[in-house]
Amino acid sequence: MPVFVELVLSGILVGSIYALVALGWTLIYKCSGVLNLAMGELTLVGAYVCLTYYQWGFPFPVALAAMLVTGFVLGLVTERLFLRRMIGEPILAVIMITAGLSFFFRAVVGFVWGTDTVVFDPPVFPREPLSLFGMVFAQVYLWSFVAALVLLAAFAWFFTRSRWGLSMQATADDEMAALSLGVSAKWVYALAWAIAFMAAGVGGTLLGNINGLNISVGYLGLLVLPAVVLGGLNSVPGAIVGGIAIGVLQNLSDVYIGPLTLGGVKEIAPFVFMIAVLLVRPYGLWGWVKIERV
Amino acid sequence: MSYLPSGVYHQTYAASHAWWQSNFVRAKMVLLVVFVATLPLYASLYVVSVANIVLYTMLSALGVQLLTGYCGQITLGHAAFIAVGAYATAMGVLFWGLPYPLAALLGCLLAGLWSVVFGLPSARIKGFYQIMTTMAAQFITVDFIITHYVSRVGDREHYFSLPPGTITLGGWPVDSEIKVYYLSAALTILCFAAVANLLRTKVGRAWIAIRDNDIAAEAMGVNVVAYKLLAFFAAGVLAGVAGAVWIPSLYFVSPEHFQLSWSLWVVGVILIGGVGSLHGVAFGAIFVTVILELLKLAVIPLADFYPALTERFLYVKEGVFGLAIVLFLLYEPRGLAYRWEQLKNYFNLWPFRY
Amino acid sequence: MRRLMLRMLALALALAVPAGGAWAQEIKLGSLNDLTGPTSDVGKDVALGIREAVQYVNDTGGINGKRLRLYLYDYGYRVPEAITTYKRFRDFDKVVGVLGWGTGDTEALSPTVTKDRIPYLSHSFSAKLTDAKTAPFNFVYGTDYSSNARAAMTAWFDEVWMRDTRFRDARAKGEKPRVVMFYHLAVPYASAPIKALKDHAALLGFEVGPDQNVTLTALDVRSQILAVKEFRPHLVWHGNTTMSVAAAIKDAHALGLGADHIVNNWGYDENLVRLAGLAAEGVMGIAVTAFYGETAPLMDKVVEYAKKVNPGVPQDARMIRTVQAWAQVLMMAEAMRRADKAGKLTGPGLREAFETFRGWTPGLGVPPITLTATDHRTSSVVPIYRIRGGKFERVKNVDLKERWPTQWEREWFGY
Repeated sequence: MPVFVELVLSGILVGSIYALVALGWTLIYKCSGVLNLAMGELTLVGAYVCLTYYQWGFPFPVALAAMLVTGFVLGLVTERLFLRRMIGEPILAVIMITAGLSFFFRAVVGFVWGTDTVVFDPPVFPREPLSLFGMVFAQVYLWSFVAALVLLAAFAWFFTRSRWGLSMQATADDEMAALSLGVSAKWVYALAWAIAFMAAGVGGTLLGNINGLNISVGYLGLLVLPAVVLGGLNSVPGAIVGGIAIGVLQNLSDVYIGPLTLGGVKEIAPFVFMIAVLLVRPYGLWGWVKIERV
Repeated sequence: MSYLPSGVYHQTYAASHAWWQSNFVRAKMVLLVVFVATLPLYASLYVVSVANIVLYTMLSALGVQLLTGYCGQITLGHAAFIAVGAYATAMGVLFWGLPYPLAALLGCLLAGLWSVVFGLPSARIKGFYQIMTTMAAQFITVDFIITHYVSRVGDREHYFSLPPGTITLGGWPVDSEIKVYYLSAALTILCFAAVANLLRTKVGRAWIAIRDNDIAAEAMGVNVVAYKLLAFFAAGVLAGVAGAVWIPSLYFVSPEHFQLSWSLWVVGVILIGGVGSLHGVAFGAIFVTVILELLKLAVIPLADFYPALTERFLYVKEGVFGLAIVLFLLYEPRGLAYRWEQLKNYFNLWPFRY
Repeated sequence: MRRLMLRMLALALALAVPAGGAWAQEIKLGSLNDLTGPTSDVGKDVALGIREAVQYVNDTGGINGKRLRLYLYDYGYRVPEAITTYKRFRDFDKVVGVLGWGTGDTEALSPTVTKDRIPYLSHSFSAKLTDAKTAPFNFVYGTDYSSNARAAMTAWFDEVWMRDTRFRDARAKGEKPRVVMFYHLAVPYASAPIKALKDHAALLGFEVGPDQNVTLTALDVRSQILAVKEFRPHLVWHGNTTMSVAAAIKDAHALGLGADHIVNNWGYDENLVRLAGLAAEGVMGIAVTAFYGETAPLMDKVVEYAKKVNPGVPQDARMIRTVQAWAQVLMMAEAMRRADKAGKLTGPGLREAFETFRGWTPGLGVPPITLTATDHRTSSVVPIYRIRGGKFERVKNVDLKERWPTQWEREWFGY
């Protein structure tokens, strides 16, 4: 029994990181309708950028802040260069642009930083495990969880209280009306991408602190998709719940279903789960229900 | 819209329905067949091996073009069905001693049926969700079922290696680059002809109707679900052909070449070539493969000044491909086939402009 | 068309190759390496070592005066690319021998190299490649994976289980030691020794727990560790390369698994200490050569050429893999010299030259290599090391043949 609780708890801790990345994805979808297949690569870029700053000697909070700024700029540039022209184009074209971008970003990361695992050295969070209620946790998981919660709270404040956040919500709700009220849709899209870059970068950095970074972190982006399907494509609380659920699901499936199969369950369990959700309730837990029966 | 050159008048319905409607086009086609048939005679082995890759890419992309370009079902999991075809063929030859053509047929059938299984959700979901389902199909088929279960059949350790000389077409062993080239070329031409003809029938028209507006198609009496599943089946069979062609070129099959990146690659190929056009498949495949080979040749002299280029050439390749997709989608969204049509029309209409 | 292509290619090659080499008398050697794929953490160092070793061979007289020409390509650990690159070696570069890398592709190419009669000296030490009946043209330069695994388990059993005070009570109660295997199930290299390891565990009286799948690029191994926690293993075998082994060891330490670790040779190097930090203390593993910078014959040349040929790579980033690359190249060079002296520097002649090795060693801490026409296993002596204070200290050399002579000759051969 304690193993089960440990699994669920560590799943929640890592799931909070997935939730951050899923949040970025949902944001882009809500504001501009773009289905972003490059989310994993955004995570990768942000994480490696932060690592580079850290390796140049800046203390971790400064490196993190610098990474946020870089991510912001990169998001603005990406949106301006590649996605501005695709507004209104058919869905396949838009998705394939993001797929092309994912190839491109991964190639750039692989070219510049190589494929080896790199660690944050000296470690940012203390290495000794903590013992709570008879269960052992690495400290880095707890710190990541805290950081993720702080960021989620920050995003929540941003969206409900600040002017730009409200503009983004307005655009996501009804673009025409928002435009007629003077909201600049172009800036909203750019901001959505910028925030997604930042959120993904923080997620990647936290992941990198746990055991190191290598190029396989990019596959995280694909895991985000079951998370948002579960939560509903355009729901922010759905993205958070979905991310955490996927984290827990990975752990549980590996330990309980893994022995029944010959291996490899951990990677595909989220996708099998996603298909099941799609067949039963395609709009997820909180998504907008669009009925189209043919 | 393709214009006929002046001076070509049809006097019978049969003539106006013909595939090749003027002597010029007929001559072009004959030259093409002659070119393809005699390429190994004057080209180096290297060019033949590049041609093999082009043909394999064409066969892989053909199924995707049928599903996405002509039936409107977006698929990002095509490599999984190619893998099913390849594995079925390999196992047929290795374990059940079937002759290669029979094993290939079995492979195509199995790939088609497997494709239908993952096409079933299309009855209920469209668009983004369908993309997710096909992506999940990719992971479940290749990363799970094939990697962990199928690969271990016969205690084989995750890949099937066929002893040289086991693949024969009625006693004629297919074991050199040139023989593989002829096999692939013949199959490619056959498949293109089959698909082109299929698209002219009732089935093809139903698919195009579904692509353009499936609700209207259903309202007009097209059985949307049945035709969608038929499209998945046809795409699966074509994937099976691609898989069957893959086996003699390497005498070896493992899950590594059928990953998500290959699925994305073939979708990129049809986007570069032009969605919804058979020419697009050919142009896209040729463009992507040739550009990458030229890139390899260009990198060799530069590698002296910047050694990381050869060490990390894989990333250069992927980066260029990603950038190519993005640039084509931004600036040439209708693909190379559209440019080809423009070019043909320019000459057909000259000296007029339209 | 063909002439134009040839001219372009010649121009490109002429620009790329520095002038001054003797083009006429050249012996061509092909090398497949992983510089960008999942095993590139060890593959890159090997590639550097291969270039340096070839330079050393050419500087010290080449192959009986003839220059050794190296064609090194990256194939990213993807088997299809390995096969196309091999075809290129055979049809274009026209090499006389190939230095291979991964188990999957080496085993896949084995029937083809047998048919083409091109000797293939690989970094893959899979035991299947040592059976000269089924793979007559495949060679390895170190002890095979299965023997390594058996030796490591034997060393832990003798030195730790039988002697350490931690297990005194357990031994007194007649408890069996418990072992689990952490490796990437779908990768041939990682799964190669598992059957032999489990047989050996039964022989020594271990209890074997459920295998855990850890991918080569895994960053997070917590669920696998939690899965075996109830089994309370005393020993964990790691079958992957350094990256994922480091992650597994760190997670085991963080989650308090409390087990000892033995690591296969491709997961045991200086990088492991760097990545795993404190968690690597006491970890035992296999090394087929001496570590970089350790005192051994010819090690000074390794260090010298590393500084000379690749000055841009910092010395503390160089690992045992460089030394392994040297061992491989020197073994191939020696066989080429013997074949050339016998006047038969062809594929089959090179194979015969390999099979004349009797107790030969390139130095560098490699146990003496003996190859016969039936048995391509280099040696039965496996060096086992342990990490103490961030440094590698040798525990012992396990001689499997001495301890289990009949099994070594017959049952354990070839798997």
